[in-house]
Amino acid sequence: MDTALERQIASASRSVEEARRLAYHDPVRVGALVEQISVLADLRQKEGDFRKAESLYREGLFRAQELRRQDPDLLTGIYSLLAHLYDRWGRMDKAAEFYELALNISADNGLEESDKVATIKNNLAMIFKQLRNFEKAEGYYCEALETFQRIDGEQSSRVASVYNNLGVLYYSSMDVDRAQAMHERALSIRQNLNDGQMDPADLSQTFINLGAVYKAAGDFQKAEACVDRAKRIRAAMNGYHPNPRRSASLLIDKSL
Amino acid sequence: MREILSIHVGQCGNQIADRYWRLLLREHGLTESGTLKDGNTSAAANANLEVFFHKVRDGKYIPRAILVDLEPGVIARIEGGDMAQLFDESCIIRKIPGAANNWARGYNVEGERIIDQIMNVIDAAVEKTKSLQGFLMTHSIGGGSGSGLGSLILERLRQAYPKKRIFTFSVVPSPLISDSAVEPYNAILTLQRILDNADAAVLLDNEALFRIAKSKLHRSPNYMDLNHIIALIMSSVTASLRFPGKLNTDLSEYVTNLVPFPGNHFLTASFAPMRAPGQEGQVRINFPDVARETFSQDNFTAAIDWTNGVYLSACALFRGDVKAKEVEENMAAIRKSLNFASYVPTGVKLGVAETAPEGFASSGLALVNHTGIAAVFERLITNFDIMFDNHAYTHWYENNGVSRDMMAHARNTIVNLAQSYRDAS
Repeated sequence: MDTALERQIASASRSVEEARRLAYHDPVRVGALVEQISVLADLRQKEGDFRKAESLYREGLFRAQELRRQDPDLLTGIYSLLAHLYDRWGRMDKAAEFYELALNISADNGLEESDKVATIKNNLAMIFKQLRNFEKAEGYYCEALETFQRIDGEQSSRVASVYNNLGVLYYSSMDVDRAQAMHERALSIRQNLNDGQMDPADLSQTFINLGAVYKAAGDFQKAEACVDRAKRIRAAMNGYHPNPRRSASLLIDKSL
Repeated sequence: MREILSIHVGQCGNQIADRYWRLLLREHGLTESGTLKDGNTSAAANANLEVFFHKVRDGKYIPRAILVDLEPGVIARIEGGDMAQLFDESCIIRKIPGAANNWARGYNVEGERIIDQIMNVIDAAVEKTKSLQGFLMTHSIGGGSGSGLGSLILERLRQAYPKKRIFTFSVVPSPLISDSAVEPYNAILTLQRILDNADAAVLLDNEALFRIAKSKLHRSPNYMDLNHIIALIMSSVTASLRFPGKLNTDLSEYVTNLVPFPGNHFLTASFAPMRAPGQEGQVRINFPDVARETFSQDNFTAAIDWTNGVYLSACALFRGDVKAKEVEENMAAIRKSLNFASYVPTGVKLGVAETAPEGFASSGLALVNHTGIAAVFERLITNFDIMFDNHAYTHWYENNGVSRDMMAHARNTIVNLAQSYRDAS
């Protein structure tokens, strides 16, 4: 058992209790309680105790709904955290339901243009892909792509990630030509990112995906070249990752 | 340390909590705010204090209790009274809307929104224990919060803690005194959950309590008196966990001894000598009288059909200044007078704890599993059927997500339970 994690959980538990006491007397403190609850829930999830994490997030959700002036940003956040939990738990239907609830709330409150919402759409698309609903998945990826293009511009790592995800989607629905187009776009962006945004792990992943696409198209030489490039990049990283705590659900595609 | 966590649900559950914790405080020599009383150095009284209390930094003891209600009234009274400083505020959960005497509201509508908070508080309380023994729940099964929300808590507790013992102290609607028209529905739906999720349930019937209180107190009793009887029973059930004694009994032992067949875990209890609060200990009665009163039929807290049933099992726990030899001799005689099932040849499970309840020189508690308890279920089913067959009041349940099919299923489960008790005679 990870004792550092245990200590973090014990301390987060105490903070939640204290926040509960304060919120018991003063309903205005519920917002602070919800924040503490989501910290503890995140740790519970790391520990692998999904039941407790779910229970905590759901408490946070209902407490946030009790507030006289509801905070749509907070509610969207909790819904998407719950959805992410269900995703990790393997309960895809629930995950899709909660991501859609998060999207509804942000749409009702005019928050569609935020990168948070685009991330939710990207994650939701991944779930629909796993549920084999390719049309819905494509729709949400495209919406996420448009938002990221508007916010970050075409030459950005997040846009490249969505291109990559779209490529994987097309590949798994046997549409090799479009998959190739998407991965090539992702590659051209990722190769030209500045040092701050450049991520060798993503780049090597793109080469691997592209290799798979070339192989499916019968172009074995190109495929081998791509896989070689990917291997060289991986070797150069030497096990080191520049930014391990990034928003994993956006960038890592579990179906690979 | 084998800790026990108490969960008090609904108006009735919290009123019991009020009396019960008062009693425990006195038994352990604690003040109403949870500090040790001056001059309390009795090691005997406090050796196992941590079973029911959690010690915090400044030497204060906090009950391992969770108070839950869907309306603020009773909890507000506890908080406004002399025990205002006792309970941990992070363990008190109250919501405004109320369950409106409707099991379905407590279980589905309101319960759905509050159950996670309750489970989080329970999880946090469990984490403060070293080796949790189990849970005690007090509630009434006729109302809305205690029955509906209580059922939901039982289900979730069983899922989350499948290996821990769950004991309920469930107040059953009386045959004659009734608080609301829909009591039979609430009771049947709750009994089904108790059957599926609890390890043992002590059924307490307001009317039986009323009768006992009236005959023993020689005056018209109030709810405080009834809850005091319940508190005495609960305190005695747990006495041998808290105080040293020659024959210790824990929750698991009770369950093993009292439940001969799976599902037949509905018990009834008796406490002796019954005296009004304040009068205790005025008369020092001898042990044979205590033992006889403990097993006297009119001293039990549920309307049991004594004539058409047999004892499946029994536990007796004596507290205070009693000798083990005296207990064994007297119980051997009492054992012969009890009508046990032919396939239960062994004796009564016995426990002895050295410390008597406050104000008593000695006391006795009986927990019995008697097949006559089927009468309690049959009475509820009869009332259930009269309303259900005429579709009376069922729309309140259907509107809140409990279909007539679910209600019929619960009813049939309890019919089978009653039949299994009758068959066991």
